[in-house]
Amino acid sequence: MIVNNFTTVLKIAPAFLLASTIMHAQTKDTLSKEKKIDEVVLVGYGKQKKSDLTGSITAVSEKDFNKGAIVSADQLITGKAPGVRITNAGGSPDSAPNIRIRGGSSFSANNNPLIVIDGVPLDTNNPAGVGNPLNLINPNDIESFSILKDASATAIYGNRGSNGVIIIKTKRGGGKLKISLNTNVSVGTVTRYIDVMNADEFTKFINQNYPNYSYLLGVGGNSANPSQPGTIYNTDWQKAIYRNSVSSDNNLSVSGSLFNKVPTRLSVGYNRTEGVIRTSDYERFSTGLNITPSFFDNHLKIDISLKGLFSKLNAIDDGGAIGGAINMNPTLPIYQSQTNLIGDPYNRFGGYYQNIVLKGNQYLIQGQSNPLAILMQRSSPQKIAKFLGNAEINYKFHFLPDLRAIVNLGLEASRSNLKTVYSDNAIATYRNPQNLFVPNDYVFSPGVDYAEHQNIVNQTMDAYLVYEKRYSGFLSHFLVQGGYSYQNFKNDGYKDQYRYDDVTGRRVPNPGTALNPTNRYYNVLNLQSFIGRANIDFYDKYLFTLNFRADASSLFQKGERWGYFPGVGFAWKVNKDFFTESSSVKDLKLRLGWGRTGNADIVSVAGFYPSSPYFSIGGSNSQYFPGVGTYSALPFNPGLTWETTETWNAGIDFSFFSQDRISGSIDVYKRKTSNLLAKVPLPAGQGLSNEFTTNVGSLENKGVEFNLTVVPVKTENLNWSVSGNFGYNDSKILSLGDVSYFPDNSSTLPIGTGIKIANNAIGYQPYSAWVLQQVYDENGKPLDNVYVDRNNDGIINEKDRYYKAIRPRWTYGFSTSLTYKNWDLNAAFRGQIGGLIYNTRKLAQGFKSYTVPQNSQNLNNVLTSTADSPFTLSDNLYFSDYFLEDASFLKLDNVTIGYLFKNVFKNTNVRVYGSVNNVYTWTNYSGQDPENFTGIDNNFYPRPRTYTIGFNFNF
Amino acid sequence: MKNTKYKVLALLAFLAVNTACLNDLDTEPKVEQTLENLLAADPNAVEGLLSRLYASFALSSVEGPDKSDISGADPGESPFVRGLVNLQDFTADDMKNRWGDNGLDQLTTTANWTSNNKFFKYVYDRIYYTVPQATNLILIMKSDKVNYANKNQVVDELRYLRALSYYYLIDLFGKGALVTDENFNTSALLPETSRKELFNYVESELLAIETTLPASNSYGRANKACARMLLAKLYLNAEVYTGTSRYNDAANFINKIISEGGYQLETNIRKNFSSDNNTSKEIIFPLLADAVSSQSFGNTTYLVNGSISTDTMVPADFGAKQGWAGHRATKAWYGLFGNSIADLQASSDKRAKLFWTQGHNWEMNDYKTWSDGLPSDKFWNKDSNGAGGATDFSSTDFPLFRLADVYLMYAECALRGAAGTTVPQGLIYLNQVRARAGATPLSTITLDVVLDERARELNFEGMRRQDLIRFGKFTGGTYLWPWKGGVKNGTSISDNYKIFPIPSTALQSNPNLTQNPGY
Repeated sequence: MIVNNFTTVLKIAPAFLLASTIMHAQTKDTLSKEKKIDEVVLVGYGKQKKSDLTGSITAVSEKDFNKGAIVSADQLITGKAPGVRITNAGGSPDSAPNIRIRGGSSFSANNNPLIVIDGVPLDTNNPAGVGNPLNLINPNDIESFSILKDASATAIYGNRGSNGVIIIKTKRGGGKLKISLNTNVSVGTVTRYIDVMNADEFTKFINQNYPNYSYLLGVGGNSANPSQPGTIYNTDWQKAIYRNSVSSDNNLSVSGSLFNKVPTRLSVGYNRTEGVIRTSDYERFSTGLNITPSFFDNHLKIDISLKGLFSKLNAIDDGGAIGGAINMNPTLPIYQSQTNLIGDPYNRFGGYYQNIVLKGNQYLIQGQSNPLAILMQRSSPQKIAKFLGNAEINYKFHFLPDLRAIVNLGLEASRSNLKTVYSDNAIATYRNPQNLFVPNDYVFSPGVDYAEHQNIVNQTMDAYLVYEKRYSGFLSHFLVQGGYSYQNFKNDGYKDQYRYDDVTGRRVPNPGTALNPTNRYYNVLNLQSFIGRANIDFYDKYLFTLNFRADASSLFQKGERWGYFPGVGFAWKVNKDFFTESSSVKDLKLRLGWGRTGNADIVSVAGFYPSSPYFSIGGSNSQYFPGVGTYSALPFNPGLTWETTETWNAGIDFSFFSQDRISGSIDVYKRKTSNLLAKVPLPAGQGLSNEFTTNVGSLENKGVEFNLTVVPVKTENLNWSVSGNFGYNDSKILSLGDVSYFPDNSSTLPIGTGIKIANNAIGYQPYSAWVLQQVYDENGKPLDNVYVDRNNDGIINEKDRYYKAIRPRWTYGFSTSLTYKNWDLNAAFRGQIGGLIYNTRKLAQGFKSYTVPQNSQNLNNVLTSTADSPFTLSDNLYFSDYFLEDASFLKLDNVTIGYLFKNVFKNTNVRVYGSVNNVYTWTNYSGQDPENFTGIDNNFYPRPRTYTIGFNFNF
Repeated sequence: MKNTKYKVLALLAFLAVNTACLNDLDTEPKVEQTLENLLAADPNAVEGLLSRLYASFALSSVEGPDKSDISGADPGESPFVRGLVNLQDFTADDMKNRWGDNGLDQLTTTANWTSNNKFFKYVYDRIYYTVPQATNLILIMKSDKVNYANKNQVVDELRYLRALSYYYLIDLFGKGALVTDENFNTSALLPETSRKELFNYVESELLAIETTLPASNSYGRANKACARMLLAKLYLNAEVYTGTSRYNDAANFINKIISEGGYQLETNIRKNFSSDNNTSKEIIFPLLADAVSSQSFGNTTYLVNGSISTDTMVPADFGAKQGWAGHRATKAWYGLFGNSIADLQASSDKRAKLFWTQGHNWEMNDYKTWSDGLPSDKFWNKDSNGAGGATDFSSTDFPLFRLADVYLMYAECALRGAAGTTVPQGLIYLNQVRARAGATPLSTITLDVVLDERARELNFEGMRRQDLIRFGKFTGGTYLWPWKGGVKNGTSISDNYKIFPIPSTALQSNPNLTQNPGY
């Protein structure tokens, strides 16, 4: 049905055009020519002059982008827009960015903003194996970002606009032939290691505190002689798994006009990024083609954009490698060759040293696996092939040139192939078979351990009519727009799963079940909407915008399906009324906006079919009666509907002095989300599970944003500008239905089982840590298991816990740009004030008894500071606020120096630049990196400091 | 104008086609099935749905042992068998655990119980997972959507599973919301139903299905004896649940099980707790497990792996691949066979040998020390002859109800003067249980003797706390055991500990529910 529809649409569109060509009008084009590119800002389904905007929109164009070693598009704008907090999940090449515009407004629903590339809204569900969806577009092809923040701007995106919208436009061709070649090479290093004990400190610690376990130090110790250590080696496991990474990025683009008429741009890019953890590699080949032909004397413009991309990432086992390296006993060697143990069984593991023990007549792996072997013996290639294409057909009616019809057709298709493959002697596949009549007491299973294949096809179609007319006098501008939008997301995949056979020890395929033999999953989401907008300006001074959107989502049942999202914006160009003659006040605009937007992106918690009764098929290891497959009734909620957010926004845009010496804006906003989609506990027995997603509760965000750009010097030879922004956002939960709080399932601590440190509670910020107050002695050292008895009842329990907000309220960034003749210098800072981070290492490896075996023959390493640690592990220790540290930081994110060689050859400019990224972070946090979105620091993939040297050739 | 007309027509056609697309909003999955598709695609679909409900007592989910169908629950910690043993054996005198795990210490020391304890919540949530799912399925079966020959029997079995869940609600939490066929799926909050009313409901359900359930059913499925066993348990504890004793009714069903059930005591003491116990003639209602096709960290895997540590034992000797170093029995249990390790080794009672002594201490000076207390070897993953290799998950089924229990219940009822029982016959049955274990027969019995024999025979099978409460020895200070109340030699605990606190999440989501006294 979907395919039929799409084909039908494609058939109608040309017919429609054909009908119009029959018309004979050849009206002259009376509209004024296209304005300069930096004055036009993308708004939803159209563009407006910056001076005509009524909503809170930040535009970031190429000159403002972050520079240096940029792998993904989000890195271009980090710290550049007030109120937009972008935190990636670490230094992995495919690290997922968490983008928050004005705080999040949802619990269970997705809090990321909508991202629209060339008119095609991206699927918020990533293809399998993709951590960062913005990695799938080449940053060199991007011309500008437009960030819509308040509802008067985002209401036109209705159902997906609650968290803001980021509109990305890629570069187009046109004009004379320009060839541009950009290439750079970067080297990355780890800036900070975790301070764990080295071999000397560890040996001393064990000998002093646990002398009965000294035999587990080094190699060759014997439990018969417990206080005698073996041969001690000195291994820095962190240095063993990290490396200096070498990466390069190369782009070639050719832009011009084909046949002197059709603007065309072709780009080709190749990026190879290494992560600072060994084997963590990323490769991307991307290509893009833009053609914007126009016909019929510019009445019909077609903008075709095609992007293709192939990428391959080697995913690493974060926990095993990073966690393993920190945990690993430093007195053990890395390679078998460092020891004097030769032959079988020591040489079984491909040259890596691994502790083994003889039990019966089998050698069993003992203790932790060698972390370097975990990395090197496994390869996990995740390959994606992606196509993103769209065609925008813009037809200006011949008989009525003020009326345009625009049809935008988009197609996003991707194919992912993931697998995990082990090498021949991989420790992870080592098993001891039960049957001891096989020649060896052990067996390896090299080869594929997991595979997944996924196809995604997403289709978009927007069709609308725009009538726009400019006059002079009372009614200076009139625009009305109405149309329809259709989006269909389909992802279809299957998994190959394996298990280890208990008898043979070999890995064998895990069968599917009769009704799902290939472990398939199939998910479809369909969104359809009707949109309308009107812009009415009076005297070019009083500007009104009205938006309306009606949305339907396939997630909801028929009765709850439609949501209605209006928005109103008003702007007053104050400088035209009051400062008309002033040469210092160039621009002063007051904006007011109100709107309602929706959010229904709950597929990550409730699946794609949350409102209808369905049965899931039990897996092959979850059967019960033999010969019968298990089927389980899935919980569902037929009353699910849109979550709506109402926003009030007031702002002032200003620009003073000629050449915009001082310009900026201030915005104040309040957002209230109601019918909040949250996974809350159901009343016992009154649903098919204990919790399900329902519309319950409300949440409020209030804040202020400010940005300012100052150009102190602007002469022919010297230009210097400084710009900065900050945002303050405070969220508060107002109600949660019948419940007063519920634990946030994404705040599970990585140690212990199922301990959730954060709650969503009425009256507090969402995701607030619920902790006990630690008591300290007179020297400032914490006292073990002594907490403040807040309610004075003599017992320490959950009644003594209190809330602390984890997310920061203040975020800011500032940058400076200096050009002197042919030199340019750019520096960018960003930071946050407030915010907390839970230092899991300080807990997990912060008590002495962690070092000695609990049911294993294995010593664990701890932090150097643990030698003086007062702590013993108790139930209450996890909740101590001692582990919640201040995450405020200021980071110098990049410094770039460049020199432009003009006219090296005829019409050729070459710019050479060097830059450093992640230069330095000022913070009080004692762990590795305070910039952590989840607020829980565990096995964090470190962000490297990168040194880059690059060339831009422009012909 | 003609041009305008063309334009308008084209536009209308355009819109008409597009509005036809609105049907695309009715998406349908291809992997998840509607009821109709499922019944059409798999002829065994009804049995599959039923199988899943039985599995609710053993597995954490139907998507593997690492997933949980109860939200927010750790899939390893939350399955029912694990929860039952945690709440009935670790709180009582027979087993202690050393892990802590944010809540186990409360169970191990039978002290400081709070309504936020996740282990209580796991069992409560599991009960209230099985109850609505069973009711949902009952309503589906009763409707005309399903054409299945044995529909009525399936409905009876579902009612049994629901009654079994409510039985544990009555025993552990004392009160709650009563979900029935009539009030299922209403959005209005259900009122709280008292222990007595729940008891009456369960009794009526079981009496109704006891007549129609078949005498025998395929392995693992409920039969007449299962319903009778549950009724017997319900009546045996009626004085605790309702204040009125019903020993006569208990005895009635106990006699029926013994005479009509066709069960007999297994001669091999280990048979009921080995991986081949699916052929045991003694087990009345098992909860299934299989190392390959029915995996869970919370079925007998928990009992087997948890009682092993590589510090003092070799996991492969018990058919396990890992030892989790958690559970040990206390001298309140193994002390019933003698006063020292030497006594255990010299005893003729084979049950005395089912404790691991090498490297362990008789006294439990610190319940967090692995070598204090003797691990129980009762459950293992080898077959009754000791053959079988080591697997990650256990294949041993969990015997929820078995005949030895019935014999001891008979003896108890007789001593309590139930009609239809005699003390001499009770002595005969008790001695049969003892003889099977190789212990010397007794000449007289008293209630305390029966209680001790129940301990020797049935500890670690998820019922000790219930027995102690019935005999008035769980709370108060008359009977102390190691670490009762958090004190090494035991101390008195208050009477409100006969019932667990209702989880705070349940109280929050339904304000009609109230907390149990003292919490």
